[in-house]
Amino acid sequence: MPKLGLKCLPLLMACGAIMGSVGPAVAQAEGDRALGEYLSSECVSCHKLTGPSDGIPSIVGRPAAHLITLLTAYRDKKRENPIMQMTASRLSDEEIAALAAYFASLKATAQGR
Amino acid sequence: MKFSVHQGRIKMTSTTRRHFLGGMGAIAASGLACPAFAQAKQKLVVIGGGAGGATVAKYVAKDGGVDVTLVEPAARYTTGFHSNLFLGGYKKWEAINHSYDQLTSKYGIKRVRQAAQAIDRDKRVVRLAGGGTLAYDRLLVAPGIDLKFDSVPGYSEAASERMPHAWKHGPQTQLLQRQLNAVNDGGVIVIIAPPNPYRCPPGPYERASMMAHVLKAKKHKKSRIIILDTKSAFSKQGLFMEGWQKHYPGMIEWQDPKVHGGIKSVDAKTMTVVTGLATYKAALVNVIPAQTAGKIALDAGLADQSGFCPINPENMKSTVDANIFIVGDASIAGDMPKSGFAANSQAKVAAMAIRSEIAGGRAFPARYSNTCWSLIETDDAVKVGGHYQPKEGKIAAVETFISKTGEPADLRKKTQEENIAWYTAFMADMLG
Repeated sequence: MPKLGLKCLPLLMACGAIMGSVGPAVAQAEGDRALGEYLSSECVSCHKLTGPSDGIPSIVGRPAAHLITLLTAYRDKKRENPIMQMTASRLSDEEIAALAAYFASLKATAQGR
Repeated sequence: MKFSVHQGRIKMTSTTRRHFLGGMGAIAASGLACPAFAQAKQKLVVIGGGAGGATVAKYVAKDGGVDVTLVEPAARYTTGFHSNLFLGGYKKWEAINHSYDQLTSKYGIKRVRQAAQAIDRDKRVVRLAGGGTLAYDRLLVAPGIDLKFDSVPGYSEAASERMPHAWKHGPQTQLLQRQLNAVNDGGVIVIIAPPNPYRCPPGPYERASMMAHVLKAKKHKKSRIIILDTKSAFSKQGLFMEGWQKHYPGMIEWQDPKVHGGIKSVDAKTMTVVTGLATYKAALVNVIPAQTAGKIALDAGLADQSGFCPINPENMKSTVDANIFIVGDASIAGDMPKSGFAANSQAKVAAMAIRSEIAGGRAFPARYSNTCWSLIETDDAVKVGGHYQPKEGKIAAVETFISKTGEPADLRKKTQEENIAWYTAFMADMLG
């Protein structure tokens, strides 16, 4: 199966999914957006995508590099908060990159969601 | 007799004419499994508008391409989470009630304001209380719990009008609050806590804390809260016990079965509770009975002998029907507790799996999480959480954490601020 342009090949995608040939996503160097979007669904149970945030900080509209630094620090237990330490602990470097790329990309589109 | 078109075949059903016409486009579709070749959208019907069902509906609908219908009789969603904050006077009634309107206006989800009465798995239709039917390609069953009233001798649905359970939220929650506010100093409150597994494991103990908060604020000196438990241990026990000692010394008494010797009977007429140890004449009795998955899931044969529904941990699909997914309190989710947070987490996995089957979405390995905050007294909150993944046929805990006893006050205050912020974000994630 070639790398799939997500929106370009819906037919191939749909059938691929049914045949089971689209397995766990291959993370790409710059951050796999679809993987990032799936992983982000865990974040948005607590972090609001829009509007002011007290008590739990906003994670939308931050540069990807900043989010990578933060998540890596939580994973290394260099920042406090057991929820975030636990959340980061099961993320690989590729997954952190995917998440950061996804939230960075929301900068332009967050209002529409 | 009318016809509907289903998977390229014409079936006689009692669906409406509108369904028939709407399904005409599907005649062009062959019986091919690949939905991309079909001209009609695949249909997802969601039974239940709680944290599980509403989240699945939104997450499947938001990327388009699927016809999503949410079947939920209630006009608004009264959340069980933070209902204890309503009881304690920290939140207004309006603040725990939420409109479903944005699911329709932003995501095009159809709402059916009726109870789902039955599932015909062979015909793939949901029968509605009002007599109509809804055909589905995939069905999401999220009815939450039903209460086993007869698990407490003498208790019944009728008795709950005087001895509220307030474990399915709405008028019962308001009744409990009115009764609490009417307790005079010296009154006895009895809470009967349920056996595992049940919705919101720390809930009965947070509820006792919030009741004590109200009595303490009213300067009660002699009122008592007696928790008659059907188990010998409970969620966050060390944290609650520490908090009760600190904030409400002598007010809350917890009895396990070894102490009370069994709950023999309750009588709503005389407001008495009889145990093996004593008879209590109470000002307020909150009976939280044993629980099962919602009746519709039991009737459809989706539950096992435990009364809850087995699922495939990879995708939340029913182990007995490949067209049905089950999330939330009704499911057997392994190490995950029955909580709104857990239901929302399971819903995202189910939505992804459903989209991969009927809308060409990508499927990633399932990951689940849960966090649950409990308020003990103003600015003194604790939390528990975990991460979960499929392992050896069940959803297994990968890592868990819990607040520690003896934590500094500023950390407990921050934890409560997190709790409040979580609720806002969570409702936006589910219904916004």
